[in-house]
Amino acid sequence: MILASAGNVVVWIVWVGAGFACLASGAAVISFSNPFYSALALIGNLGSLAVLYLLLSAEFVAAAQVLVYAGAVMVMFLFVIAYIGPRMEAPWTSGPRWQSVAAVLAAASIFLEIIVAVSLKAGGKLSHSDHVNRTFGSPGWIGRLFLTDHLLAFEITSIVLLIAAVGGVILGSHTRRAT
Amino acid sequence: MQGPGIAWYLGIAAFLFGTGALGVLIRRNPIIVLLSLEIMLNGGNLALIAFARHAHNGAGQIFALTVMAVAASEVCVGLGLVVAINRKRLALDVDKLSELRG
Amino acid sequence: MRGGAWLCLFAPLAGTVLILLAGTRIPRRVAGWVSTASVFVAFGGAIWAFFALRASSNRAGITYTAWTWLQSGQFKVGLSVLVDPLSTFMMLIVAGVGGLIVLYSIGYMDGDDEERRYFAYISLFVFSMLLLVEGGNLLMLLAGWGLVGLSSYLLIGYWHDRPSAVAAAKKAFIMNAVGDATMALAFFVLIAHSNSLEFAASFHTADTLSSTTVNLVALGLLGGAVAKSAQIPLHTWLPDAMEGPTPVSALIHAATMVTAGVYLIARTHPIFEQARTVELVAAGLGALTLLVAGLIALVQTDIKKVIAYSTMSQIGYMFLGAGVGAYANGLFHLMTHAFFKALLFLAAGIVIHAVANEQDIRKLRGVGALMPWTKWAFLAGALALVGVPPFSGFFSKDPIIAAALHDHWYGVVMAVAALVGAFLTGLYTFRLYFIVFRGEPSAFAREHYHAHHGKEGPWTMLVPVGVLTVLAVVGGWLQFSPVWHPLTTWLDPVARTLAVAEPTNTQEAIASILAVGLGLAGIGVAWVLYGSGERAVPRVPALQRVLEHKFYFDEAYDALFYRPAVVLATWLRRDFEEPVVLATGTDLGEGALDIGEGASRIQTGLLRTYVLFVGTGLAIVGVIFLAVR
Repeated sequence: MILASAGNVVVWIVWVGAGFACLASGAAVISFSNPFYSALALIGNLGSLAVLYLLLSAEFVAAAQVLVYAGAVMVMFLFVIAYIGPRMEAPWTSGPRWQSVAAVLAAASIFLEIIVAVSLKAGGKLSHSDHVNRTFGSPGWIGRLFLTDHLLAFEITSIVLLIAAVGGVILGSHTRRAT
Repeated sequence: MQGPGIAWYLGIAAFLFGTGALGVLIRRNPIIVLLSLEIMLNGGNLALIAFARHAHNGAGQIFALTVMAVAASEVCVGLGLVVAINRKRLALDVDKLSELRG
Repeated sequence: MRGGAWLCLFAPLAGTVLILLAGTRIPRRVAGWVSTASVFVAFGGAIWAFFALRASSNRAGITYTAWTWLQSGQFKVGLSVLVDPLSTFMMLIVAGVGGLIVLYSIGYMDGDDEERRYFAYISLFVFSMLLLVEGGNLLMLLAGWGLVGLSSYLLIGYWHDRPSAVAAAKKAFIMNAVGDATMALAFFVLIAHSNSLEFAASFHTADTLSSTTVNLVALGLLGGAVAKSAQIPLHTWLPDAMEGPTPVSALIHAATMVTAGVYLIARTHPIFEQARTVELVAAGLGALTLLVAGLIALVQTDIKKVIAYSTMSQIGYMFLGAGVGAYANGLFHLMTHAFFKALLFLAAGIVIHAVANEQDIRKLRGVGALMPWTKWAFLAGALALVGVPPFSGFFSKDPIIAAALHDHWYGVVMAVAALVGAFLTGLYTFRLYFIVFRGEPSAFAREHYHAHHGKEGPWTMLVPVGVLTVLAVVGGWLQFSPVWHPLTTWLDPVARTLAVAEPTNTQEAIASILAVGLGLAGIGVAWVLYGSGERAVPRVPALQRVLEHKFYFDEAYDALFYRPAVVLATWLRRDFEEPVVLATGTDLGEGALDIGEGASRIQTGLLRTYVLFVGTGLAIVGVIFLAVR
């Protein structure tokens, strides 16, 4: 009992920490003028999200998040930022005044609507989570699902990745002059 | 183990989504816009994982992985575009990149 | 009979349409002949209808309806023509005299640039007048009424680059519109009470209407008649209407249109007989007009204006006759008047045409020596007008005076007025004749007279004048009241003379002797003053001034109606139309521009803006989904 409650406290502390980091890094991404700092903030965001996934029994997804997202995608970002060079740009300066105000309002209303939708629709149904067994979220379990129930998603994903790779190569190559 | 209910995770997801949207709308540097898009996608991912946990349904996690793969592809292509634009010596500013030309 | 009526009605309309459609593709002369032919065909139709009616057993007339035009509840009215003694009588006059005048116009209007338009209009006029007299119900009559007003406007203002002509046309139309309005109101009352505008039905209900109602209806009809026939008080348009070409003056403002008022009274006499007071008012107005017009004609210096006032005066006689109830007498005078008045106008037209379009009698002095044939024709017309036997006016004018004599004390008063009018008629007519046609030609006349290939005018002008001269002489022999009256018998089924207006033989004799005597006295005075050398005419300056200003009617109407209207219009324009109405247009335009400018600020050209719209749309849709559940 005491162990359970102690575990609960730990979970809460971890949750608060990861949650706060997530929110702060999210705000930081859009606030820095230096894109390099924004990318670094996003890496922090992804890391804290991985912690949250772990809290939600999604171990494989957490691992994939760190490896793929933070490891590959963000590295790519950093490479390109380094390649392009420093481009400082302050967030709130450009465009018509009303546009900035309207943007804040739109984003805030989207946020609020999601909150309202979830709380109204769900009612009390979100309070009790199902009890999950130990294999939930494990790599083996994910793999089995990919190859049985969600095979189509698996195949389509692979095609999308292929297309993206081809597209990336084409976009990145130098154009040949007609000889 | 206990911990906060799913609703809290959904709250964080909503915040991430809104923040990402705001970033898309007010930043001019296309790289930062892509970063903001990433935040939005991650918000969606978090919501999916949370619901998967809540409903004991694996489809949420599968979907989240798919989203991750798609996001990676999109970033790949997007950054390729950024590099191509930079090579053409055009301004890296979504306000100025308003014509499909050049 | 039916064929004759429809042919008579539609032939001139066909003429108009043909001329309009042909436009400038036909030579000008051809337009004139088309028009003349159409009116003569109409005359043929009228003769056909007349003889058919005479041969048929139904003397009271038949109404033929082509189709039902308007049906509203129980009210039904159609395009119908009525063939009865009165309408065939009028058809013959209108088409016959009209045909002669249109023929004359070919010669008169020769050389005018817009001749085709003239002939289109004049055919339209003949059609309208025939519609008026042939109309089988009051609505057709009103349609014809309005159309003749329109044709009159178009023809008075025919020379539209003359401001005086345009103003005269407007004046005529507006004064006629006043009459049209009163007539329409009378018709509304009739429709309300009888649900029909057919002649028989309306007249039938006249018995059942209350006294005030039937008086109002009769007053409304009288208003229309007074306006159309240029009687006091709606008479000031007729002298100004002389701005139109002379054949127009002859046809519209002498022979036919201005007599429409008399026709109306005769046609709707059952209503008038229920409102006897109004009928007598009509007679009184006629008597008053004949005096006033006769006086004004004494000082006129324009040859056409003298004849115009004479027309006004003679129509006063017709109103007098119809007003006391002697419808046949009034209509008989209408017929003889058509002959001799048209003759006078056309003869004057020959003079005007030959002497450089000059109309001032002082300049035209003595032109009779240069144009003897015209002089004799004019003399015949003048004698007919004065009523000297055996010319036609004698046979038609004196019975009217006699009928008035018979009709109570007020009839006697009106008869006395008519007798004074006879004296004035002799005086002004022969003043005109002696000044223009007797004596040595003036220098002006000699200088500007030019014969037409050796004759006084082209044959198209001389032949109608000749025909009309013959008619002016013999036309009266159709009826000699005490002894022989086929016309009264013919018109009896539809326009029976009231008993109160049937004079005794003694009264007839007294009236005739007095009228002829006074007429000859007038001629004598004219001879003394104007005929035998340059005798100084006694002048009373104040009286002269009043007469020359036509009893100040024009000035009075100007002050009463025109000036207040101008003030009102100016005030409205300045204080209402310009700030409110016109500014609204500008304001609306500027407002639209402002809205556009404001809206165009959304078009920033930035991609981010459009993404923002997507996001905003998402937010709004989300709200809607949440609200609707």
